[in-house]
Amino acid sequence: MSLATLTKPWAATSYGFLDASAKRELRRKMLKAVAVPGCQMPYASREVPMARGWGTGGLQVTLTLANPGSVIKVIDQGADDGVNAASIRRFVSSVSGAAQTWDTLDASIIQSRHRIPEEILRENQVLVLQVPDPEPLRDVESNISIARQMHADADYGKLWLTLYEQIVRKGRIMQGASYPALVNGRHVITPSPIPRWDVPKLHMSKHLTILSAGREKRIFAVPPFTRVEPLVFSDRPYLVEDHAGLTCQRSGLSGFFMNELPMDGGGSRFEVSDSNLGIKAIRRTEGEPDGIGDTWYRNGEYSA
Amino acid sequence: MSLETSSALQRAAPRLMADAPVLTMAGMSRAYGAVQALRAVDVSVYPGEVLGIVGESGSGKSTLLRMMNLEDTPDNGDYRLRLPARADRNLFELDRYERRMLRARHIGIVYQNPHLGLLMHHSSSGNVAERLLVAGERSFEVLRSKARVALDASEFPLARMDARPIELSGGMQQRVQLAKAIALEPSLLLLDEPTTGLDVSVQALVLDTLKRLQRERRITMVLVSHDLGVIRTMADRVMVMRHGAVVEQGLADQVFQDPQHPYTQQLVHAKL
Amino acid sequence: MAYVATRGGEKAIEQAERLFRQDLGTIDPDRVETIRRTMPYLIDRVMGEASLYSEELAALALAQTGGELSEAVLVLRAWRTTQPRIAIARPVQQSELLTQRRISAAFKDIPGGQILGPTLDYAHRVLATDVLEGRPYTPPMVDMADRPAPQRQPVLADWQRQQGLVKPAVPSEIAPEDIPDLTREPLLLPASRAHRLQSLARAETGGVLALGYSAMRGYGNAHPTVNELRLAEAEVVVRHPRGAQFSAGRVRVSQAEVTSKEKGGYLELGYAATFGWNEVKVIAAATLDLNSAEAPVGSAVHEEFYLYHTESVEASGFCIHFKLPHYVTFQSVLDAMRGAKARQASARAAEENQEESVP
Repeated sequence: MSLATLTKPWAATSYGFLDASAKRELRRKMLKAVAVPGCQMPYASREVPMARGWGTGGLQVTLTLANPGSVIKVIDQGADDGVNAASIRRFVSSVSGAAQTWDTLDASIIQSRHRIPEEILRENQVLVLQVPDPEPLRDVESNISIARQMHADADYGKLWLTLYEQIVRKGRIMQGASYPALVNGRHVITPSPIPRWDVPKLHMSKHLTILSAGREKRIFAVPPFTRVEPLVFSDRPYLVEDHAGLTCQRSGLSGFFMNELPMDGGGSRFEVSDSNLGIKAIRRTEGEPDGIGDTWYRNGEYSA
Repeated sequence: MSLETSSALQRAAPRLMADAPVLTMAGMSRAYGAVQALRAVDVSVYPGEVLGIVGESGSGKSTLLRMMNLEDTPDNGDYRLRLPARADRNLFELDRYERRMLRARHIGIVYQNPHLGLLMHHSSSGNVAERLLVAGERSFEVLRSKARVALDASEFPLARMDARPIELSGGMQQRVQLAKAIALEPSLLLLDEPTTGLDVSVQALVLDTLKRLQRERRITMVLVSHDLGVIRTMADRVMVMRHGAVVEQGLADQVFQDPQHPYTQQLVHAKL
Repeated sequence: MAYVATRGGEKAIEQAERLFRQDLGTIDPDRVETIRRTMPYLIDRVMGEASLYSEELAALALAQTGGELSEAVLVLRAWRTTQPRIAIARPVQQSELLTQRRISAAFKDIPGGQILGPTLDYAHRVLATDVLEGRPYTPPMVDMADRPAPQRQPVLADWQRQQGLVKPAVPSEIAPEDIPDLTREPLLLPASRAHRLQSLARAETGGVLALGYSAMRGYGNAHPTVNELRLAEAEVVVRHPRGAQFSAGRVRVSQAEVTSKEKGGYLELGYAATFGWNEVKVIAAATLDLNSAEAPVGSAVHEEFYLYHTESVEASGFCIHFKLPHYVTFQSVLDAMRGAKARQASARAAEENQEESVP
């Protein structure tokens, strides 16, 4: 027996970039997050070769979950070819050997910034959401020590109060994306800034969602089949974005979340935000099998 | 002095004592460093009565009120509230969450300093609604109407119900605090120098409102003040505190007309 | 629309990176070595903020980022975090530091003496334009002192402790491997002192200066007097697996101790240290440490505020992330705004209708 047989050959970085101790910590914190749905778990959050705020939290989770058999999809604003999405997907694949895909149905891990794909996710898929600010109480309490106590006490009165006052002032709730939601009846989360359109997709879903904020060093999770209820008043219905009636000018799809593109001379045109769904629909118009899976929304109505 | 105290206690005539007390505190003691703020204080408050606690600053009266509001815990002492459908237990044994919920549902408080009781940059109606939200109300219309009713009962001008307390006068701020305190029809309303610092005329109006509310709703109140005039206007029964201990208590008329303890005599005569 | 969600995005980002790197040209060991040799204070600053002591790697980071400081620190930190921890060095004692500069503003003279060492403090800051005219600047030689200053210097605070001016030091009994490590665990608040000092040690110099300066200008409650400031070299003493302790090399360190007023019968001390020679940073950081105890929650000198906001990698990353597309969240805001406007418009129309119907 020699020293060489006892050790691995030297490499500049570990498999999947992160070293084993970092991955072990992340695995433990992910398990904790799954065990207490919606509760923010602090983690060390290592530096990665990417600037903070650019998906480093999601990246650390993906790097920990990925193996050579993984199939990785990364989207930014719904698009696989967004510059940062492409850069993250390339990096994950190069350090882990995981395959890359644009197709939601083929992916085993989907890392996303600001969107949940329109096709229904399955039991064997993990959604990793990049989170800039994990604290739903930030606007009512900027001190994180106090905010932590408020979570411990389930003290969400001030958060409800801001919603009450929005209705008083504007006649409706003005919260745009990152609409606060109560997970498993206990912890309020900010569901990363996904649009209101996407929040219902977290409720009682088959897939596991892990939300990770690298800069703020917090991880939280929505396990499969867990209640996720947006904070709403019993007599004021939850409003998703009014996109049900819009049609994508490229693919002809309608009833999905759209990007609005301002036009010269006024007016707007729309493109479906889930870019690969758009590609599949275009394929259909060209007479090929589209391969579109079941979608959470049908005819613009949430129906999953 | 101990003799005098015990005789004063015996003469605290039990006008309302037919009922069991709503609030019972026994053996309340608390030291802050070298200062003994409370020395084995016993208190009972009966349904529908107003108990006035009077004493100079440092007498322990505000400490006692903070304990009643579960903001602080004593070194020793037992505190019980008789509440519908709640097990009888020492409230200081409750955990943080239970305390917070109990406070939200069953105890109202008006502080001398409105900054302690109000979110100054939220709407007045919202301040009242927050209390209801914490207690679990989720209908916007119900929140709105209950806030309106509570503000109206506190004689707050409804045209300004969505103004922020920071924009309101001191008297109006106290009315918002009061509306917030009574919105859930609390079993106990605590008033900590509620009119101190207000103009005399405003003070009289706020006291009128408090008296009317007390008359109409039979709210059980504990009023802490250094001002004998305020206590005399409001209280059925009076407790005089000094150096963390109760030196005299009894029916308000009795204590004011025939004070037994030299300290009370001094207080009453200074006032007159 | 050209820079996101278009085909060819991958190509565009590759070319954008090439453009940046092409402007910097070839990076070879000579360039790295020149940076290392000629920019020691810049190297020190980067090593401090990266919390990685390697002049060569710091010079390389500066070379490949063209001196973009936040990028250089990020590159080093990302490299550092994957490296194994081989050993835990013995704590450095002040009295063992090989001290090159050591001053106190609290006393005219101190045991061991004031040692100015290398500094520009008393120089006239005149730009040497002659150099550009073709007249190279060669600094005059330093005159040798009659007797060299001792390598090691006593600790002023020790003298103050003997006099009963400063609280006796009570070093915590902790095994080396149990010392909290901010780079391997999250900062939780209230922060342990180890975490606070570690966080300040790797904080961004400009950020620490800004917040420390705010404390000095009266937004804090303690005005600093520099009790002792040192620029020194420290031996990195580690233990061989067989038990022997040995020095694995020397690192340049700065440390500052500031004091203000009496508290509980003793002078309060604020402390900070960092890799490299960076006086401004350690004085500002020690001032923040000094102010921490009584800082109001939410103020700029409260530890939650200054520790979070001086974290260089987090702050710069978040700042530049606003260049990323945000059109989904923006769309969501627009929708709520348009909804509210439509509601107000229809409410107005209803009112007007009502007025019209009144005879």
